[in-house]
Amino acid sequence: MEGKNKYQLVVLNIEKHDIIKLDGTTTTYYTKRGSDIMRIILNKNSSVPMYLQIRNQMRDMILEGILEPGFRLPSERKLAETLGVNRSTVLNAYRDLKADDLIGSHIGKGTVVIMPPIPINRDRMPQKVSKLPWTQLLGECALRMQQPLVSDILKTANRKDVISFAAGFLAQTHDPVEELLEAQSRLLKDYGSTMLQYSATQGYLPLRESITDLMQKRGIKAGPEEIIVLSGSQQAIDLTARIFIDPGDVVIVEEPSFFSALQVFQSVGAKIMSVPIDSNGMRIDFLESLLSRVKPKLIYTIPTFQNPSGTVMNIKRRRQLLDIAYKYQIPILEDDPYGELRYDGDHLPTLKALDQHGYVIYASTFSKIMFPGMRIGWVVAEREVIRQFVLAKQMADLHTNTLGQWIMDDFLRSNVFAKRLKTVIGENIESRNLMIKALKQYAVEGFEWQVPEGGLYIWCHLPQQVDTERLIVKAEEKKVVFVPGKIFYSGYVESNTIRLSFSSPPKRLINTGIRLLMEAVKEIIEEEKVNHYLGNDEIKPIL
Amino acid sequence: MAITFANRIYGMKSSEIRELLKLTENPEIISFAGGAPAPELFPVQEMIQVTEKVLRESGEQALQYGTTEGFNPLREKIAERMNRKFKTNFAYDNILITSGSQQGLDFTGKIFLNEGDVVLCESPTYLAAINAFQAYMPRFIEVPTDSSGMIIGELEKLLETTDNIKFIYIVPDFQNPSGNSWSIERRQQFMNVVKDYDVAVIEDNPYSEIRFEGEMPPSMKSMDEKGQVICLGTFSKTFCPGLRIGWVAAETNLLEKYILVKQSADLHTSSLSQRSIAQYMDSYDFDANIDKIKAVYKKRRDIMLKTIEEEFPKGISFTRPAGGLFLWVVLPEHIDAKEVAAKSIVYNVAFVPGESFFPNYKKKNTLRLNYSNMPEDRIVEGIKRLAIVLKDFYFHSSSSNE
Repeated sequence: MEGKNKYQLVVLNIEKHDIIKLDGTTTTYYTKRGSDIMRIILNKNSSVPMYLQIRNQMRDMILEGILEPGFRLPSERKLAETLGVNRSTVLNAYRDLKADDLIGSHIGKGTVVIMPPIPINRDRMPQKVSKLPWTQLLGECALRMQQPLVSDILKTANRKDVISFAAGFLAQTHDPVEELLEAQSRLLKDYGSTMLQYSATQGYLPLRESITDLMQKRGIKAGPEEIIVLSGSQQAIDLTARIFIDPGDVVIVEEPSFFSALQVFQSVGAKIMSVPIDSNGMRIDFLESLLSRVKPKLIYTIPTFQNPSGTVMNIKRRRQLLDIAYKYQIPILEDDPYGELRYDGDHLPTLKALDQHGYVIYASTFSKIMFPGMRIGWVVAEREVIRQFVLAKQMADLHTNTLGQWIMDDFLRSNVFAKRLKTVIGENIESRNLMIKALKQYAVEGFEWQVPEGGLYIWCHLPQQVDTERLIVKAEEKKVVFVPGKIFYSGYVESNTIRLSFSSPPKRLINTGIRLLMEAVKEIIEEEKVNHYLGNDEIKPIL
Repeated sequence: MAITFANRIYGMKSSEIRELLKLTENPEIISFAGGAPAPELFPVQEMIQVTEKVLRESGEQALQYGTTEGFNPLREKIAERMNRKFKTNFAYDNILITSGSQQGLDFTGKIFLNEGDVVLCESPTYLAAINAFQAYMPRFIEVPTDSSGMIIGELEKLLETTDNIKFIYIVPDFQNPSGNSWSIERRQQFMNVVKDYDVAVIEDNPYSEIRFEGEMPPSMKSMDEKGQVICLGTFSKTFCPGLRIGWVAAETNLLEKYILVKQSADLHTSSLSQRSIAQYMDSYDFDANIDKIKAVYKKRRDIMLKTIEEEFPKGISFTRPAGGLFLWVVLPEHIDAKEVAAKSIVYNVAFVPGESFFPNYKKKNTLRLNYSNMPEDRIVEGIKRLAIVLKDFYFHSSSSNE
């Protein structure tokens, strides 16, 4: 093994062994060439992307001289196999290292370590300009942002070859395209140059008036001056964070909670504290005991058909939450994208409707009912708070696209929106029922779920021995994708939960998708049994 | 409730432009204040065709969530166009579609700036960029600038002696507010100096295609050996601003950061807007539309310059931009342009006083005039009225001095 240009690969898959008491999902990789040792430790739970972990460690080894110039690196394919990562992960790491001129590829020699960069001396090296080391220039916020989760999910969900239970949006079958075509040409003909021009930062006034009426239906009294139109409700979370949160401030969230919100709060340097939920929503007793110790800047909640759990905060807790907010003087961000999507039971008043003292910042969106691609959402809050939103919005992107606002306004004023809402509810009930039926038909023992009264998601607990990471891989082989539960937690948690969206796949594929998913679950359970018999706790070197 | 906002909020002020724009909604007012393009030039008929085609052919995708990076065919078109016009070397994966180039500015601040980091900029510089970066609480240093760009010797001194410089923000073509463009020589010197330093360069380029005369000088990015230049672009001036489509073009390893920030800011830019522009570029001659815009703006610039020459009192200097949307006026030092603005509103004329365009050392005797948004007769009338106000200031100020 130990020939001149060869290296020995030893894989220690610590994940399965108790011998080395490190983090439960650590993998170690060695390669030897003479006395050189290359060792990469990957932490799958880290927020640092895999490729960066690989790149950073290799870069350090090169700069510290552990890997000497001329050291021949394993091929991308080989390294990927050994580390148990995608080839593209290693490819990206190598690409970065090449861009930094730390490694290079030569025909016949493979990929080798080049000279560590010498501090730039202009007299000696007048020709060669080294690439700008971007990472050194990045600010704290950029460094805190690591996971491309959402875009990964959007990308997978847009794939045509999979059955996707991942995305939180509607099956692409019944958007009112004809109505849109009609409205768009009619409006453009008469108001074209205004619809294509810059418009007010707070939003198109007629649309804010229409939203006033819509809010009235949700029990919220708000004039157009208490409303700002945003580029989707994601922007509501982002701007709220900018307006209220300084690094180190505490933000209280439900556990689990919407991952994109967690990401935003992390990126502004908030300290996130979680309050668990049960079937009646946020545990107010937990919250209260937390508040005796910390003074948070903001409470973030999705009280109705919560993402991911689907739960609804009951009326008693809604009132309690508001009382606590008043007592400790904490603003509440009420995220309500799904409130109108109720399939059974009675509507509960929103927190904003119950709020007597202007503590609630209410965010909602049209995206779960129609045209998510138009990116139109809004916030309702006290005037003083809206003023801050306007300033922040102006800096963020000036205003929301004008054309989309005109169209939404037209649809709210005609009955297109109301009709569409009815259609969506009808479709979603069918999809939900199909999924529940399929789950009952195929579920293995230990796979558990609750039937949601509304929203888009079914939150499922897996049998104990099924690891979500493995299930992702296995399900993807069967062309089924979903969102693993752990991304809805702010810290590291062992969570064998998954979120299934029943509205995202076409209805005819729901049954098949659930069947395939359960096959994947079963296979993992079988494999676990086999591993158990083989006594899989010895370290085996592989090449 | 006593609302406590984040510290950064207390630095945000409602900008003067905003307040002014509120006034200019009054149709009586002759406004040289905003930076809006001429709406009568928007290709409305074509847009009706284009949006209809998009909805008929790919309605579902155009209305559905899209990817954070943007619509790939549009990214490709932008890369191709930049390579052709600005001699850059971009592929589609170097491009992130943003909700206008304002978002590119905001993301740049978010990605690079910690409190107290240094931003170098021209003097004066673009107001909305100052505001966007200000939110991240950096320290601005204005590099002395003349009509050909930054003074390179001064820039070099600053680069040599200042710690924590994160980036240099420049608008090399028909800068907002001055209307000045960097000379070729200055561009070369600039790139030659900055390559020795680990700083990023933000090349904000909304106006270079709105050129009335002369050759387009090379872009900074075309001379970027070190991969340190980030380009910001937009369709707001070459097409329509209401669609809110801009872009960031950068090295892929850095663009990844922008993509992450975009995702948490607003997921992605309106799919319908993106596809409509892409379809427009397929169906119509994008450059021909720019030619139309240029022809109109050139006339407006000419008439504004001519009227200024004829009407303004002596001792006032102004720039003669070869493109873009703005010109810059320097009054005698004792005149405060803010007072002039207050007086002009009485005459139903609006413009932006220049001091907002300086992050540190406000030159109160400066102002910016926009010529893209008003028809020629209104320009003549507005400049005449402004001249009356200015003469009044001349007379009163000089008599009080004596």
